[in-house]
Amino acid sequence: MASSNPETESNNGSSIAKEPEKPQIEAFRMPTMEEMRAQEVWNNCAVRSVASGVMGGGLGLMMGMFLGALDNPIMQEEMTGRQQFMYTMRQMGQRSWSSAKAFAVMGLIFSAAECVVEKARAKHDTTNTVVAGCVTGGTMSAKGDENCKKEYNVSFMGQDEV
Amino acid sequence: MAANNPMGVDKEQAFGMAETEMEYRVELFNRLAQTCFNKCVDKRYKESELNMGENSCIDRCVSKYWQVNSMIGQLLSAGGRPPM
Repeated sequence: MASSNPETESNNGSSIAKEPEKPQIEAFRMPTMEEMRAQEVWNNCAVRSVASGVMGGGLGLMMGMFLGALDNPIMQEEMTGRQQFMYTMRQMGQRSWSSAKAFAVMGLIFSAAECVVEKARAKHDTTNTVVAGCVTGGTMSAKGDENCKKEYNVSFMGQDEV
Repeated sequence: MAANNPMGVDKEQAFGMAETEMEYRVELFNRLAQTCFNKCVDKRYKESELNMGENSCIDRCVSKYWQVNSMIGQLLSAGGRPPM
């Protein structure tokens, strides 16, 4: 490349014009102690699971607010505009809080399980994710058993009243 | 000369010993890094950072290597002949 003849240069004029200046390769720096400690923070299982839980809570909040806003009150014709608005607001608040809790717990348990399994196995596989998913699913279903019964009862009761 | 060197070795000898020690240490570090890298890190690189599994693998590898190294060093230096 550096020792090209004039003939080849004229032939390859287009290719040389296409070839832009190569990006300068930076010299490799060893990480400082602060950088290493900052990276070590994210290796801690507790920190990772709490961060995941917080992110899951945020996601649940957004999802609950969105789904709660779509909820229509039962007696829509009889309510005034302001009453409908208050009803929708309350629904949004309730649903966002409950789904935020559920998603936060899910995120926390999944992240903690994956972190623990990966540290124990000392390998980076999809097996870690699979086991963590199993643990999360099992926990959520074991937790939600009585809630499911309650929800089913309420919904059946609502149908009976109608 | 004797007043400056209470240990009884002169400067060249100490320098030679330090050089040998340095070579030994460098060799040890290079072997350790190469062994644990070959053992713990998958050759198909997916990202540039060490993930957690590799981190804990490297921790364990270095710890074992160091322990074995010091054990063998003690056996060789104390016994003079490896117990076989």
